[in-house]
Amino acid sequence: MTDVQAVATGVPAEVIAAEIDALGITHVVCVPDSFQRTLIARWQAGNGPRFVGVCTEDEGMGVNAGLYMGGQNPMMCIQNNGIFASINTLKAIALDANVPTFIMVGQFQRDVNKTIEEQSSRAVRMLEPTLDAWGVPHWRIEGPEDIGALKAAYERAWTDQGPSVVIIGAPTL
Amino acid sequence: MERQEAIDILAEGRRGAISVPTMQSVFPWHEAGQGDILNVDASQCMGSASTIGLGLALAQPSRKVMVLDGDGSLLMQLGSLVTIVASGVNNLYHFVFANGLNQSTGNQPLPGQGAFDWVALAKASGYKHALKIAEAEDLLEQLPHVWELEGPVLIELTIAREDGPARWAGVPMARQVASVHEQLATS
Repeated sequence: MTDVQAVATGVPAEVIAAEIDALGITHVVCVPDSFQRTLIARWQAGNGPRFVGVCTEDEGMGVNAGLYMGGQNPMMCIQNNGIFASINTLKAIALDANVPTFIMVGQFQRDVNKTIEEQSSRAVRMLEPTLDAWGVPHWRIEGPEDIGALKAAYERAWTDQGPSVVIIGAPTL
Repeated sequence: MERQEAIDILAEGRRGAISVPTMQSVFPWHEAGQGDILNVDASQCMGSASTIGLGLALAQPSRKVMVLDGDGSLLMQLGSLVTIVASGVNNLYHFVFANGLNQSTGNQPLPGQGAFDWVALAKASGYKHALKIAEAEDLLEQLPHVWELEGPVLIELTIAREDGPARWAGVPMARQVASVHEQLATS
């Protein structure tokens, strides 16, 4: 039997939550994602930013924009399929209307023992090319050593006045 | 009622509310002098007026937020009715201009035109209040009372068909976003 070396390893939810708290995030606008399940459960329990559940990612882009205009400091939490589902609002609101839109995206159905290029899931393989096509900067969190990506992406969203994405490559712990 | 009649009554009775018009209500809203620092148009993101309004309502609970939605637009994010209720906001006033048409693209009939009921949908979603107003004089009479209701409130406005080309205000949304943010983030 051959040992399989994981390419991506999960980050404890409390580690990510502490980073989000340090950024001063006021609201998490969320469509549920299995890769961020433990993190979402923490926020839903009332620990940290106010949790705002929405039905679709299109809704989330609008709510995020309204919160920003109203002087709050929101972020979004969705999965890879949600990016594909919300390209129109990503274009019209986050990009064209210059709304800082910091998004954590779970790589739903990603095999953590394979690289992104080796994945059988088209959604996993096409996430980054899709973001590249729209000029959306993105970072990977493939393990605890990548936690700094959150601050980098958050700051980029505010510097650019547009979207930025952190890709969660393994289920949070 | 005519769209312009409804717009004029809402403009006159706005009471300083933050406004989020969309599609064919944007141009007359600006013509009525309402494209100010507390207004943002949902022009290039059909369907998003209700959720932009929700975000503003969450961010500014002491202010009233009025969404000037369209029936075709709201159908695009129909789940937002549930999202709005689930959020717990009580300061959102949702005016739905209902003509049964996708007017901006040439007056094509909406799917299910005439077969669904906005008031019933809003109430079933948990809106605190929902009512239908068909005549301009009724809107004029009832609007002051609407503002006294606890939200979320949905008002279905029966709007007559309009022909002619679509009209747009042409104000970049980015400029409005920056203006509203500057106004509200510092207030």
